[in-house]
Amino acid sequence: MASIRLQNIAKRYGAFVGVQNMSLDIADEEFLVLLGPSGCGKTTTMRMIAGLEDPSDGQIIIGGEVVNDIDARDRDVAMVFQGYALYPNMSVYENIRFPLRMRGIPGAEHDARIRQAAEMVELGSFLDRKPGALSGGQRQRAALARAVVRQPQVFLMDEPLSNLDAKLRQSMRVQIKHMQRQLKVTTVYVTHDQIEAMTLADRIVIMNRGAIQQVGTPDQIYSDPANSFVAGFIGSPPMNLIEGSARDGRFLAPGVSVPCPGTVTGKVTLGVRPEDCRVAGEHVQGQVYGVEPTGDVTYLTVLAGAKKIEVKAARDYRAEIDTAVGITFDPARLYFFGEDGQRIREGA
Amino acid sequence: MAARRKSRGESRVLRYLVLGSWALVCLLPILWFLSIGFRPRTEVITPRPIYWPTFSLDAWNLLVSDWPIALYLRNSVLAVTGSVIIDLILAIPAAYALARYDFRGREDIGFYILSTRMMAPAIVAVPIFFLFRQMGLLDTIWALMLIYAAINLSLVTWIIRSYMLDIPKELEDAARTDGASDLRILWEIIIPACRPGIITAAVIAAIFAINEFLFTLLIASTANAYTMSVALANFTGGSDGIIYNAIALVSFLAFVPILILVILVQKHLSRGLTMGAVKG
Repeated sequence: MASIRLQNIAKRYGAFVGVQNMSLDIADEEFLVLLGPSGCGKTTTMRMIAGLEDPSDGQIIIGGEVVNDIDARDRDVAMVFQGYALYPNMSVYENIRFPLRMRGIPGAEHDARIRQAAEMVELGSFLDRKPGALSGGQRQRAALARAVVRQPQVFLMDEPLSNLDAKLRQSMRVQIKHMQRQLKVTTVYVTHDQIEAMTLADRIVIMNRGAIQQVGTPDQIYSDPANSFVAGFIGSPPMNLIEGSARDGRFLAPGVSVPCPGTVTGKVTLGVRPEDCRVAGEHVQGQVYGVEPTGDVTYLTVLAGAKKIEVKAARDYRAEIDTAVGITFDPARLYFFGEDGQRIREGA
Repeated sequence: MAARRKSRGESRVLRYLVLGSWALVCLLPILWFLSIGFRPRTEVITPRPIYWPTFSLDAWNLLVSDWPIALYLRNSVLAVTGSVIIDLILAIPAAYALARYDFRGREDIGFYILSTRMMAPAIVAVPIFFLFRQMGLLDTIWALMLIYAAINLSLVTWIIRSYMLDIPKELEDAARTDGASDLRILWEIIIPACRPGIITAAVIAAIFAINEFLFTLLIASTANAYTMSVALANFTGGSDGIIYNAIALVSFLAFVPILILVILVQKHLSRGLTMGAVKG
């Protein structure tokens, strides 16, 4: 069990900057998710924590000890990989046993620990199989057992669920979260899937282009985004971002006219989540572009000027395309972003 | 339904017919050798083809009585086995370094290793003769092991390297975070994962080695180091003329060790020959 501290770490590959000047404190027993689009530096950050890459700058501190010069195999860190990385020539049992052997744990303890780890991921009856004879979900569970078995200080998980189908992903997600709570091991989890991030994390770190965009609890990230990147990245469907201008307490864009705080002026972007829009009223005057019933909710796309605005409508809402429709925004849940993409906060 | 089943049955007959014919075509040279090896010398060279030759052990008796053919075969097998072992001991770490470590001149070194194969062997024949004489290794199977190993080392290294390149890097990362050292990773993860490639390389090296003639002739001067390939030459001249049925029999005997080797490792070999070719 350990806390992790990243101090001004950077990773450069020649002229390309993978991670820039990143500082982050991860508390003991915390479940932290690094979230961002591909190429944002999240996996590089994780690999630096694991010791598989050396940072170009900065310090990595695990459990109070600077680990920059400690080799991956001597850091007490277990990693789960996207492609499972099970050793193909070994049975599941031998796979789980491998870290115990490598770390010189007395042979007498092996069997009990392996069976306990396999039990934890519900893999007890597959111990004799080779990885090639397992399904995707079973392979991922075997990889988890291999990480769990050595009781490390830190778990690192690099998109462990991305190769699984949606249904399996959901059940594995719950299993991972349950396991982390049970074992109380500090966990860093990399994903580009915001649902995984929202459901698993104690705190989410949103990254883009090698830099942290925002750190916060899932609730904070969702309801209080720091900039337009975070706002547009989180939420499904994502937040509507409407470019326009604000003057004298009113935000204007083609087909859109909404009251806004007096402090917001000039070229700004208005953000509003689909669930904070209501069909009726006249903040937006547009035409129906499309209606998508999903069963429990209907998504309505409204064309205002050239901008498509997503609205979460009632489940029984139906309309023909091109009919005129008005939309009202919840005035308490509007977000304004300046030209630099940063949030304009009231009273600021 | 019945018609469909019948057509399926016919297609199976057809399939066996085609495969059987192909197998026969492949086996023909071997059967041909056997047929020549076990007929009298007088029936080997005739203007008219003989469809049912007389069975004769003339050539076999000649081999057994006049030549230490078992010794030649033993020499071949020992020299080839030794050379393949030397090749693997040297090539596996080299291939791993060339496949995984990032160092200056890696590609150049890799190409240099391969380029040794491009040279005409006759160029180094004389220096090699003097070298082995200096070392007192002339006419020994130790010299043959070394020379066969040297000839095949570049090829073996490259074949194994290409297999290692196909092993996902994640496997090594996983082993490293699991606490394995580089040597452990090579021994426990990499070598088992590219076993088909190693076996393929070993078989190819063995085939090249058992057929090697030039350097063997140079180094061997007595039955101490004569191998099957050089023994063949014994029957191509001299006062008795070219003894075709003996040549055929010796060729067949030289082919047997490789046949046994291939049958033993067949399962890995067929996987090996395709696995390295396809990425993914």
